Amino acid sequence: MKGWSDFGIRAKLIIIFVLIKVIPLLVIAGFAWHAQEWLAGRVSTSVVHMAGAMHETIATVVETTTGPAIKALDDAARESLERVTTDTARAVAMFLYDRDSDIRSAALLSPDAESYRRFLAERRRPIERHYPWELTPDGTAWVPGPDATPRYDTPPAVATIEDNKKNFNYRQPEQTALVTQRPLFLEMTFIGLDGRERVKVTTSEMLSGEMRDVSRRENTFIKAETYFEHLKALKPGEIYVSDVIGAYLKTPIIGPYTPAAAEKKGIAFSPEKAAYAGTENPVGKRFRALVRWAMPVMQGGKIAGWVTLALDHDHIMEFTDHILPTADRYSPIPDAISGNYAFIWDYEGRSIVHPRHYFITGYDPETGEPAVPWLDSELYAEWKASGLPIGDFLARTQPFRDQSLAKKGAAELVKAGQLGLDCRYLNHAPQCTGWMNLTRHGGSGSFEISWSGLWKLTTAATIPYYTGPYGRSPRGFGFVTIGANVDDFHRQATESKRVAEEVAKARGEDIESQLAAVIGLISDQLATMARQLSLSTALMVILVMAIAVWMASFLTQRIRTVIDGIRRFEGGELAYRLPEQGNDEMGALSHSLNLMADRVGESIDRLTEARLKAEEASRMKSEFLANMSHELRTPLNGIIGFAEMLREDAETEESRENADIIEKSSRHLLDLVNSILDIAKIEAGAMTLATQAVALGTLDGDVAAVHQPVAAAKGIAFATVFGDPLPETIQADPTRVRQVLHNLLSNAVKFTASGEVELCVSRHNDDVVFSVRDTGPGIPENLRDAIFEKFQQGDAFLTRSQGGTGLGLTLARHFVELMGGSMHMESEIGKGSTFSFRLPVSPRQEAE
Amino acid sequence: MMDKKALVVDDNEVNRVLAQRLLSKAGWKVEQAEDGQAALDWLAANTVDLVLLDISMPNLCGEDVCRRIRADKLGGEDIRLVAYTAHAMNEQRDSYLTCGFDTVLIKPVSRQTMLDMLLELGLV
Repeated sequence: MKGWSDFGIRAKLIIIFVLIKVIPLLVIAGFAWHAQEWLAGRVSTSVVHMAGAMHETIATVVETTTGPAIKALDDAARESLERVTTDTARAVAMFLYDRDSDIRSAALLSPDAESYRRFLAERRRPIERHYPWELTPDGTAWVPGPDATPRYDTPPAVATIEDNKKNFNYRQPEQTALVTQRPLFLEMTFIGLDGRERVKVTTSEMLSGEMRDVSRRENTFIKAETYFEHLKALKPGEIYVSDVIGAYLKTPIIGPYTPAAAEKKGIAFSPEKAAYAGTENPVGKRFRALVRWAMPVMQGGKIAGWVTLALDHDHIMEFTDHILPTADRYSPIPDAISGNYAFIWDYEGRSIVHPRHYFITGYDPETGEPAVPWLDSELYAEWKASGLPIGDFLARTQPFRDQSLAKKGAAELVKAGQLGLDCRYLNHAPQCTGWMNLTRHGGSGSFEISWSGLWKLTTAATIPYYTGPYGRSPRGFGFVTIGANVDDFHRQATESKRVAEEVAKARGEDIESQLAAVIGLISDQLATMARQLSLSTALMVILVMAIAVWMASFLTQRIRTVIDGIRRFEGGELAYRLPEQGNDEMGALSHSLNLMADRVGESIDRLTEARLKAEEASRMKSEFLANMSHELRTPLNGIIGFAEMLREDAETEESRENADIIEKSSRHLLDLVNSILDIAKIEAGAMTLATQAVALGTLDGDVAAVHQPVAAAKGIAFATVFGDPLPETIQADPTRVRQVLHNLLSNAVKFTASGEVELCVSRHNDDVVFSVRDTGPGIPENLRDAIFEKFQQGDAFLTRSQGGTGLGLTLARHFVELMGGSMHMESEIGKGSTFSFRLPVSPRQEAE
Repeated sequence: MMDKKALVVDDNEVNRVLAQRLLSKAGWKVEQAEDGQAALDWLAANTVDLVLLDISMPNLCGEDVCRRIRADKLGGEDIRLVAYTAHAMNEQRDSYLTCGFDTVLIKPVSRQTMLDMLLELGLV
């Protein structure tokens, strides 16, 4: 990887420039962009927020203007509905109390049929029935028949005086055409102490005219009445009032019983066989029931029997069947389908009046037992699992258990048409619990509940009738409930709200589109800004880069000039001087370099002069040495030559010895001359080597052959050892290698009195090591360096008698080093010495 | 066998005589000359097998003499020229061979070195 130091100054300058200029530029551009973006974001957010706030304000205005109106209307509607409910409940109670009066009157009558007949005939009350309804020709709905169409010929009432004209509101008379006067009571009986009916007058086909023993339940109305056992408990003057007793009526269809609905259910279209359901089934069977009043009849201060009056339940129904909790107020026919309803429930919460008669609880006329009511699916499953008769199962079941809209009515009972509403077990109708809450201590009230997808206001008002057994419940006879769609109350307000909301929505859309335009404008502005910012930043960056490159080039150009100048100077142009431009550091540098060049030039001049002088001296020295050598050899030639001749021609031993001494001395002198010459050459640097391939085997053999005899003559062992592997040849000057080996071996042989001399040649890496080991006296520590010096021979312990020039080792070391090797010596006093030198197998490349 | 003839040229009488003696001992007929000019003059009239020529001589140095002999083809067809000198430097030896000498005999000489030289030149 490229390091910082690998870059040139120019590159470094450019990089530094870029770092200190471009990066801040980019950072500033980044800040500017960020700020702009932030601002745009804030503006956008604010605009959106403002728009949202405006939107909200409009919505709030709409809400606050229509809200109270709706609430006021709701409150008024609630109040009026509660009023209707409580008025109805009170009317029912009054009606029932009137029946108490009737029973009291009846108890005073002589128990005979004639009295009773007269009594019943006096007690009638209107019952209103609607005109016949019929199916539409397509059979999809029940509609009022031709007679049912209201026929009012009377013109509408008008205000006759000016003061009443404002909001003068007229309502047509309610339809009363089908009103009939019906007896209040279905029958009147006198029952003996034994339970047998003694006197009996009936006003309806509903009840048998036969005298029966009513102590037995199967003899009573639909085998369901149990009043006799209560009669026996009555004290004189006490009144007994029974529950509502009627046969339960099933329906195969909930809702409009039309041919289409029947077909869908897969049943024959016979609405007349199913329970009556007002506008949904105007031809069905009506629920018929009675409420029986009874009182002891006193004769001679004793109870002689009991008089009973069976109130026709239709008269109770009349109280609610025509109520509409809407502006229409009145309906000629019970109408549950529109969601408006008025019901009556008994003190236990059982339905006793309902526009849909199949919802009214009743008894099974076959057994006289209460019919199975509509259970929620959970309870139904439990009942089925229990295997108990319904009465036993319900007797042990907690009433009003966890009522919730989340529960569902048992579909099996819907299918069976068993739909009597008993609030206690109608756990999928939580309003039951609500009504029970409202009427817990008597009284009345209302709440809203979401039922079948509509918010409905529902009221409940206790029927304050507390006679007989009804006195045991705070709810008295029971309670009236009326329900209405909440939305109906405030339709007008809702309509204004809807209009206001539409206006607000339109305004909102307007704001939205304006908002989108503003945001679009901002983002356009942002994009433009980004382009301009990018462009100007890019231009600035390019400019800065260009300046950086120019500046770096300018600076480095001057440096380069200096470097080039130095190179030229280095290359030998000693006269070259740098141009000294400017007074800055570069100028000072050039000036200093020029001064330095002057000095260097002078120094070189001086050095050249000195070198020339030295060369001259060296030349003269060499010349002197050569002459010296020549002048010494010339006489030596005669001395040695003639001495030799003299020795060879000597006639006496003495003469021969003398001649020999002369010859040896002169040869010694010659050696000295040669050695001095060599040293002089080496020191003058004039020694040249004749490097060539030297065969190691031959070399060592030749050298050993010279010294072997000398050693043998002295009685010393001489050995030559070759290490393995050895190269065949080495690159060296054979004469000089020989000379070195001769020197070392002759020294070894010379200085060894006994023992051995060993020449060892071996290879160490790229070197060949020659070592000469002897068992001589060894060399004292203090002389070890000195022996390599000129004319040193270890005088301290050896005498000159050993011969030699005193230059041998000096020369040997010089030659070894010249050939690129090195020489070492180890020695131990008394043990011997080892001189070794190493030579490269081939000359090292370091020398040029 | 006819004796071979040599000329020893040296201004130093001792060395001239030594060479003459050593060659004579080896069976050569030896003439002497004291300087270069004398040698050239003599060689102009005589033929020899071998000339031992000192280098450092007054007036005419051995190399000049050698060059003249070679140039003028003096002393016969088969003449061998030997530098008989006390200059022992290797470089000098090379320059002698360059200028026309057949070999170099460095002083001091012994009987053996003289014989080695003759052997080298194939004159024994």
